[in-house]
Amino acid sequence: MSLTTLAQTLASGALLGCFYTLMALAFSMVLSVTRALNLAHGDLIILGGYLGYWFWSGSGLHPLLLVPVAGAALLPLALLWQWLFNRLPEPKELSSLVLTFGLSLLLQNIMLALWRGEYRLIASESLTGSIRLGGLRLNQGRLIVAAAALAAVGGLYLALTRTRWGRAVRATSLDREAAALLGINVDQATRTTFLLALALSGGAGVLFATLHYLYPAGGIELTLLAIVLTIWAGVGRLRSVLVAGVLLGVIEALTVAWSGPRWRELVVALLLLASLLARSGGLAGGRSH
Amino acid sequence: MALLEGRGLSMAFGGLLALRGVDIAVEEHQVVGLLGPNGSGKTTLFNILSGLLRPTAGQVWFHGTRMTDLPPWKISRLGIGRTFQIPRPFAHSTVFDNVLVGVTFRPRHRYHCPQDRRRETERLLGIVGLAEKAAANANELSLGERKRLELAMALSTRPTLLLLDELASGLSPKGREEVIRFYARLKERGLTIFAIEHSFRVLAQVADRLLVLDQGTIVADGRPAQVLGSPRVVEAYLGEDDHG
Repeated sequence: MSLTTLAQTLASGALLGCFYTLMALAFSMVLSVTRALNLAHGDLIILGGYLGYWFWSGSGLHPLLLVPVAGAALLPLALLWQWLFNRLPEPKELSSLVLTFGLSLLLQNIMLALWRGEYRLIASESLTGSIRLGGLRLNQGRLIVAAAALAAVGGLYLALTRTRWGRAVRATSLDREAAALLGINVDQATRTTFLLALALSGGAGVLFATLHYLYPAGGIELTLLAIVLTIWAGVGRLRSVLVAGVLLGVIEALTVAWSGPRWRELVVALLLLASLLARSGGLAGGRSH
Repeated sequence: MALLEGRGLSMAFGGLLALRGVDIAVEEHQVVGLLGPNGSGKTTLFNILSGLLRPTAGQVWFHGTRMTDLPPWKISRLGIGRTFQIPRPFAHSTVFDNVLVGVTFRPRHRYHCPQDRRRETERLLGIVGLAEKAAANANELSLGERKRLELAMALSTRPTLLLLDELASGLSPKGREEVIRFYARLKERGLTIFAIEHSFRVLAQVADRLLVLDQGTIVADGRPAQVLGSPRVVEAYLGEDDHG
């Protein structure tokens, strides 16, 4: 592999990694606040992608403008998800698997019924073409996706660390009972977390649909990636999710460049195993909550 | 009217009756002690009073407001703070941040300027004697320090009633002396305190009134000297050493 190709691969992997970060953050927020594993996370992203595709093919708007539209479209589902999660019996970590596995299948079949099995891509002309940066040629679409994902991640980071809402959400995710005893409205923190996480997922879906072909069962792989990244980074650790996301994007790009796409999933699975064996607390170390 | 009043409180866990129709009343500005052997239902009662458990039967009033069905965060905002027997601060956070949370979310006497919130947090850490540990990680504290941190966290919401769960147990004699001084100081500040202690001696020194729970029922209620002399209490504690 030549040096240019290597640099090219690294850059495009990092761009893809930004999208992974956004996707994993939404997943890990729900996990840390509710202790529930949302196996339908990837399917919600794909649903966002299909909605984005649907709006795009109907309106021809720039895909970036459709990101908030798809995000808003998933808000009613956020309330439904929270309503269902509230009714889960203890231990929530286990019962949520059963519930969300069912929801995942349900979503896949609804998408199959609505859009059939055809592959869809938001192939907007505004996203094609490439930009030269020094000796590097970067795909314009990927750059836009990465910039949008990074903006969302940055906004989320500021909201979680600088606002009263963010403090309530972080305290709730550290210890729900202790937070409630300090007067924090934990129900509101949970509800807003769901709303935000699903809006981010819907928006991420549109970004995803500009990079990859959509198909109804495509969410499983995204869920797996979100789980890998969350375990890798440690639940609720914002900065390490960013590092892990970009790292995973780069590793994936390198794997594909060296050996073709068929090793991709295996490498992700091996990474999951290795990270579980290496440190249970994630990249940032320490115990997980 | 009593500040806190519970009537007919019962709690069943499956077939186990942890509380059987308990009546309690805590008057304003008093220190009321709750004694009882292990498993007598003391912590269960506290969990009901702070909203973590919903009683199977019975009602609780605070300031005349019925609060039995309220979630814990609303009860906290009404003015009830509590500590746990086993302290559970937010892990991986500094002592300072732990106290800052309650200061930030208190419903009354709230500060809008971050500077004021920090000053208030420092003041609370000063009260419990943890000012020098402000930057330490909550996990690194000793048991006595963690108990003091819990107390500062409970105070951070500006409660009018404090539920203290075994503040003195597990501490050295010197630590216990300190806890007794805390009780006195908190009472001076006008707080009402409902406290579980395993040790007679601590409560005998600080309480205005004592309640004794045994097997889920109140078996004695009165002034400390009166209660500790009652044959029913001696019987409930028969075979139990007072480590106080």
